[in-house]
Amino acid sequence: MSLDNLRDLYQQVILERYKKPRNRGKTDPVDRYQKGHNPSCGDTIELTLQLNDAEDQIQDVKFEGEGCAIAMASVDLMADALRGKTTAEALEMVQKFQAMMKGEAEFPSELRKLNVMQGVAQFPVRIKCANLSWHTVKAALELAKDVQPAGFISNE
Amino acid sequence: MTFTQEKTLAAQVRADFPILHQEIHGKPLVYLDNAATSQKPVAVLNALQHYYQHDNANVHRGVHTLSSRATDAYEGARDKVANFVNAASRQEIIYTRNASEAINLVAYAWGNSNLQRGDEIILSVMEHHSNLIPWQLLAQRTGAVLKFVELTETQEFDLEHFKSLLSDKTKLVSVVHVSNTLGCINPVKEIVELAHHYGAKVLIDACQSVPHMTVDVQAMDCDWLVASGHKMCAPTGIGFLYGKLDLLRSMPPFLGGGEMIADVFFDHSTYADLPHKFEAGTPAIAEAIALGAAVDYLSSLGMDKIHAYEAELTAYLFQQLQQIPELMLYGPKPDSKGEGRAALSAFTAGSVHPHDLSTILDQAGIAIRAGHHCTQPLHRHVGAQSTARASLYFYNTREEIDTFITSLKEAIEFFSGIFG
Ligand SMILES: Cc1ncc(COP(=O)(O)O)c(C=O)c1O
Repeated sequence: MSLDNLRDLYQQVILERYKKPRNRGKTDPVDRYQKGHNPSCGDTIELTLQLNDAEDQIQDVKFEGEGCAIAMASVDLMADALRGKTTAEALEMVQKFQAMMKGEAEFPSELRKLNVMQGVAQFPVRIKCANLSWHTVKAALELAKDVQPAGFISNE
Repeated sequence: MTFTQEKTLAAQVRADFPILHQEIHGKPLVYLDNAATSQKPVAVLNALQHYYQHDNANVHRGVHTLSSRATDAYEGARDKVANFVNAASRQEIIYTRNASEAINLVAYAWGNSNLQRGDEIILSVMEHHSNLIPWQLLAQRTGAVLKFVELTETQEFDLEHFKSLLSDKTKLVSVVHVSNTLGCINPVKEIVELAHHYGAKVLIDACQSVPHMTVDVQAMDCDWLVASGHKMCAPTGIGFLYGKLDLLRSMPPFLGGGEMIADVFFDHSTYADLPHKFEAGTPAIAEAIALGAAVDYLSSLGMDKIHAYEAELTAYLFQQLQQIPELMLYGPKPDSKGEGRAALSAFTAGSVHPHDLSTILDQAGIAIRAGHHCTQPLHRHVGAQSTARASLYFYNTREEIDTFITSLKEAIEFFSGIFG
């Protein structure tokens, strides 16, 4: 087995986050809620956000759900990275993450933890696992206040 | 050597499958995703090539030589399929794109004109989405009600529960012959007999049985049976519907177009006799001919021999899998001879998610399936979000099972290092 390739993909941080996620649960209060789903494998996450009063800054991000190590580590790392960011910054980070999955970008040093996901770019079929949480947070941020999400957001 | 068949089957046929002789990530390919689709032997590839190089023309439409050759080959393949499943008449075999289309054909052509509000359709919880969604849609159109047969303790079709669901309201029973996830082999003969007692029609989804064992539609006495060519060594884009002659005659057409007509006027038409009534438009000619070649190939090996060899592989596979404590295996266990279930295993591997497992095995050249295998309700029913699945065919070897098991153990170790 080419373990070297696999170590690139399954960095220690990813495996640790998969084992011991730090951001499981539900924010209090729930200012935004969005379910994300990967229809080809059944992986599902439920994302909740807490925003400031002006609704232009993320105060907390939590998730529930089940999925592979890549999807679970990605959502857990994302939650850490988004805490304290303005919604505009968060949407930019979504774009940057998606570009990183194409091997076209990486995060600056203050967000370097997210760069452990870079190895996923070498495994094209797994990119959607890593992207699931970012797709979902984008949909959540684009929802107006008090609007119920239409359903789950699918990353296909 | 207890493995009596291997020398005579896998070893004998591997040269027929060029695709198997390649490396993936520097390791010999071990293809264990046969329940999704099978690989194609040279005989089938040659049939496609030969048709396009020598005989290509539209069928049933010309008097020139190529058209007559194409028509003969296309209809000849129908005879082969009819013989293969022991249909009473070649007119009982309708070509479709795949099993899904065949089920939809029945759901529209028969379902729309025979079901009413309150009528009941019995399915099982293990159905593939292809044998579920067409009936959900039919139920929405007609007001019919779906009922689901549950599983026994060994995760097999619960015949007693089925009996309790049957009533005079039952108009249709549509069940899978061999489950693509649990691997159980359902008692279709009994199911048909019980359903007929109530005057209900029975459709059998034989996608996972026709490629692996002798299937006899007359012995089974089912009203319809469907299968996909691509799981039985034929190309994609071709499958078939078997239906009893009188029943197919009584059904209105499904799709309209050329080929399926007798006489056409501006305001109405009359339809061709079977099987053409259900084959609108230019069909998948090359694919149908290649399906005939696949049937010839399988028959030349012998379905009983294929089944016997696969049973030996099943026994070995389960013997190995059962020694890995982290695994949770779905479906019934095989007996000591590997009988009583199909040559596939869906499982979960402790903390290793099926998706991660599949990526890790792929690095070792091993192709398995990860996900819900188009049986999402079944996965929910047994409490698994997704599973990994290894599924075998007659060209797989005991050595390939060894490679798979070794890598599976390594993958579990790789993850349990973290979880340990
Ligand atoms: C049991 C069963 N039924 C139906 C199908 C659907 O086959 P197809 O996608 O070729 O129509 C499959 C294959 O995926 C299957 O395994």
